[in-house]
Order: sequence, then C-alpha cells, then structure tokens
Amino acid sequence: MNFTLKIWRQENAKAKGRFETYKVENISSDCSFLEMLDILNESLISNKIAHPVCFDNDCREGICGMCGLYINGRPHGNDDGVTTCQLHMRKFKDGETIWIEPWRAKAFPVIRDLVVDRTAYDKIIQAGGYVSVSTGGVPDANSILVSKDKADKAMDAAECIGCGACVAACKNASAMLFVSAKVSHLALLPQGKVEAANRVQKMVEKMDELGFGNCTNTYACEAECPKLIKRSNIARLNREWICARVGKEK
Amino acid sequence: MNLPKIASISRKILVACVGLFLLVFLLVHMGINLCLLRPDDGEWYSIACNFMGTNYIIKVFEVVLFAALIAHIIITVALQIQNWKARPVRYHQPSKSKTSAMSKTMIWTGGLVFVFLALHFVNFYFVKLGLVEGKYMIQTEHALSSSELQAKYMAYTQGKLSPEEMATFQTEMEAVQGLMIKAESEGLYSDDMKWIRNLSAEDVKPVEGIVEGIEPDFYNMAFELFGNKVYSVIYLILFVALAFHLIHAMQSAFQTLGLNHNKYNKFIEGFSWVYAIIIALGFAAVPVYIMFFV
Ligand code: HEM
Ligand code: SF4
Ligand code: FES
Repeated sequence: MNFTLKIWRQENAKAKGRFETYKVENISSDCSFLEMLDILNESLISNKIAHPVCFDNDCREGICGMCGLYINGRPHGNDDGVTTCQLHMRKFKDGETIWIEPWRAKAFPVIRDLVVDRTAYDKIIQAGGYVSVSTGGVPDANSILVSKDKADKAMDAAECIGCGACVAACKNASAMLFVSAKVSHLALLPQGKVEAANRVQKMVEKMDELGFGNCTNTYACEAECPKLIKRSNIARLNREWICARVGKEK
Repeated sequence: MNLPKIASISRKILVACVGLFLLVFLLVHMGINLCLLRPDDGEWYSIACNFMGTNYIIKVFEVVLFAALIAHIIITVALQIQNWKARPVRYHQPSKSKTSAMSKTMIWTGGLVFVFLALHFVNFYFVKLGLVEGKYMIQTEHALSSSELQAKYMAYTQGKLSPEEMATFQTEMEAVQGLMIKAESEGLYSDDMKWIRNLSAEDVKPVEGIVEGIEPDFYNMAFELFGNKVYSVIYLILFVALAFHLIHAMQSAFQTLGLNHNKYNKFIEGFSWVYAIIIALGFAAVPVYIMFFV
C-alpha cells in the first residue's frame, strides 16, 4: 500500500511547527501504524532527508498508553477501541492522504513533532489517585467482600491506560473521562472508598488547576477511548463530587 | 471572565439546576401561549396574562427567573471561554469523533436563544415595563369605577368641588367617555363587555392616571406581530435553535447531576428529545396559526 503523509513537525516546544509531506510506499496492510512510521523514519535517516519523526510509544500492545496520535481527525485513528499502536494500515485506503497531528491541549504542550508532555495526568494521580495504605502481606482472599457487579465496574474503569485520547478528542480538552475512570475504580472498591471524598476533591481541583477544559457532555471521549471507558463513570464522578461537597466539614 | 473560586463540576451543577428550572418555566410559558389559540377572543389568554402580571408569588418568581437566566448565561459563557482557552492550538483536521451536533453547538444555539429573548423582550416584555409602546386593555369596570373617580363623582353630586376641580373632573370624564365611545364604535369590547381591548398608546394616554388597571394587551400584540410574516419566520427559525439547545440541555443536565443509569439512559434521552420538540412546537403553534389561519 502507498500513502501520502502530512505530518506535524516542530523542532521543540517553542518552535513554530508546520506540516511536512512524506510519501511511503510498499507498506504491508498488516503493518501497524507505528511500524509504518518506523519505515518512514528509516528512509528519512538512510536517505538523509530529514530528522526522523518523533512519536511516543513503548509497549506496542495497547497497554501502556504511551502512543497517541491524532489521525485524520480522530485520536488513535479510524478504528474503535484501539490504541495507535494497534491500528493497522488495512484500515486505510491505498493511496490515501493521512494527516497526523499531536494531541492538542493547553495541558499537553508539544515537546517535539508528535510528542506531547502528559505530566499533567501524573499530577492529577499524585493529587489523590491512590490508596494510602502500607502494603503488608497478601491478605486472605475473602476477608473483604466485593460484589461481582462492583468488581466488574471497578475493573472496567481500571482499564484506563492514561493515553490522553479523551482530552485530545474533547472539543473542550476536558480530562473528565480520565479522572472519572481513576476516581471510579477506587471509589467502587472497599479499600478505595475510605478516602473517596478527599480523593475526588483533590483530583478535580488539580484537574481544574492544570488548565483542562470543562465537560459539556458531548461524549467524544467515550467514542474515542481505546479502552471503551463509559460516560457513566463521569456521572459517578459528579455524584462522588456532590456527596463529597455536601458532606464536607468546614 | 474568570470564576476561579467555584470548581468546574460545581459550576456545571449550578448550570444544570438553573437550566432545569428554566426548562420548567418554558413549559408554563408554553401553556399560557396555547390559551391564545382558543377561539374565545382571548378570554383565557387574558386571564392567564392577568394572573401572571398580578400574582405576588409569580412576581417573586419573575425575579428568580431573571436571576436564573442571567446566571445561566454568565456561567456558560465563562465556561465556554475557558474551554476555548484549553485548546490554544487547534487541530488542522476537523474532528470526526462521533458526537451529537446539538452537544457541540450549545454556545451557538444558546446565542440564538439569547437573540430570541432580546427580540421577544422588545416585542412584549418591555411593553409591560413601559419601555416600548404596544397595545393595551382595560377592564371595563375599572374604567368606570376607579375609586378616585367615584370619590370625585360623589363630591361632584354633593356640589363639593371647587371650580378648578370641577374643570379637571369634567375633562377627565370626557376622556373616559371618549374612550367608551371609541370602544363602542370600533367594537373593542370583548368577553361580555368585561374588557376594552386593542387600544393604542394614543387611546390610553388621555385616561392614564384616571382609570385603573391599564394592562398590555398581549393577545392583540401577538396577532399584530405575527401578522407580519418576517417576524413570524424569524421567530420560527429561532425556535429551531431553541429545540436544538434543549435536546442536549435536558439529558446533559441529568448527566451533570450524576443521574446516569444503563436502565434509564435511553428513556432520559428520549424524554429530552420529546420535551424539546414539544416546547418548540408549542411555541411555534402561535405564529404558525396566525400566519396561516388568520
Ligand atoms: C430559556 C432558555 C434556556 C434554557 C431552558 C437553557 C437550558 C440549558 C440546560 C438545561 C443546559 C444543560 C446544563 C448542563 O448540562 O449542565 C444548558 C447548557 C448550556 N446553555 Fe442554556 N438554556 C437557555 C438559554 C441559554 C442562553 C441564552 C445561552 C447563551 C449564551 C445558553 C448557553 C448554554 C451553553 C453554552 C450551555 C452548555 C454549557 C454546559 O454544558 O456546561 N443557554 N442550557
Ligand atoms: S479514559 Fe480512555 S481515552 Fe482517556 S486516558 Fe483513559 S484510556 Fe485514554
Ligand atoms: S505503545 Fe503502549 S499503548 Fe500503544
């Protein structure tokens, strides 16, 4: 397969970026999107055409959340429930022009080319996205009972890999789906419930502070999340917030 | 605009509560409008307007309503500005993510609703405030039996009026009589002679301060306004924008308040559509009726 690529190039955080056009030829339809970019980079290097295109990636199996490109108007490209590393070139038409952009959000500044700085997500987690107990030995399996329904919902929420596609997709660059997933998977379980009220307030306040937008319930996040995190988590986040605020002691 | 003291979710919850209140108000307002379609020469409609114009509970709610509307606009515009700022560099490619058109255009449909409200206030509400001239109506018994006029009449029959008072009383009586004659000859009486209606500003000027209970005649104002096709079409277009705003608004408010449940989501979505469409059709009924059937 052959493609024309329009790729955002930007030397550093301060530089003014631009789109560059590259052609790639003889790409296997089984190639992943990142492998296709590897092939492009090899040719850029060996033919001394340009500095290779920088992009983030690590596991390449859809679990680390490092990869993330805005491809033809959709985060992680034109497939549902996959990360960019799992996107295959057979999802594109032969000869297609593909626009590749970095995540765009004030809270995710571009570092270089297609790489953005997602420290903001780490800061939200640091603000309260954890359970502060000292881990001892493994407790007896049935000492804390969890209903199947809650366990399932918590596991679904815990699938979030922190890739940032929700922010990238949202017209408001809101991080509500991410924060709601993190708040939910802890609040649904007995161990996390203890600190739930404090956690939700700290994480939301941090989210606001970092310059993410406000959710207006358009659900672009849900449509683009590679882990299919549901909007019901955002409603749960809102409920947790209301309960925490109403019950807040002065 | 900056509202940093209130957290994003709290602001959203405020917008949702206020928005739901506005939604209920729209239903009441629509109900009153529909009275206008009853072929009773505006009897029910006038009773409703009279109630809304004079009841004290309603007067309190009027203030609450304005506060709610202003709060809604200020908060949503501030949120929207923040949201634009949250993505300083836009994407080159337009978004292809699956979302509803209504949810993405709230600020624009909201803006059109604002245009509508501004137009609507100039056309109707400002008449009530006396800022704009419209049409007026008077309850016939008020025209005749204003307490001041009665007192003067008593004094007159007992010969207690000074010559100056006599002169003013006479001109006042003439003004009232002039009004009655006009009403008689132009058929402005309605509802078993209970009301004199469809009076212009010039008609009521001579009796102002003499008779009590001069009220805006919204019934005839509506007929005059929507007799003008340009106005009718503008109103109808703005009702479409209102429908768009409300289709997303209702379900969004539920989500914002945390009311999301697999079992009821479809119902909430459907309810939101039905409510919005009923409101828009209900409002559109009046101009459509006047445009095509009068
Ligand atoms: C009678 C008129 C109106 C009604 C009944 C109404 C109702 C609502 C409701 C219920 C919401 C959803 C709130 C939420 O999900 O939290 C909403 C959102 C919104 N409204 Fe209105 N609205 C009206 C007029 C306006 C006007 C005049 C504007 C003008 C700027 C406006 C701008 C917005 C915006 C931008 C949103 C989205 C904000 C968000 O989701 O956070 N609305 N409206
Ligand atoms: S919620 Fe989904 S889109 Fe958002 S960061 Fe987590 S995995 Fe990525
Ligand atoms: S590289 Fe790890 S999720 Fe794509």
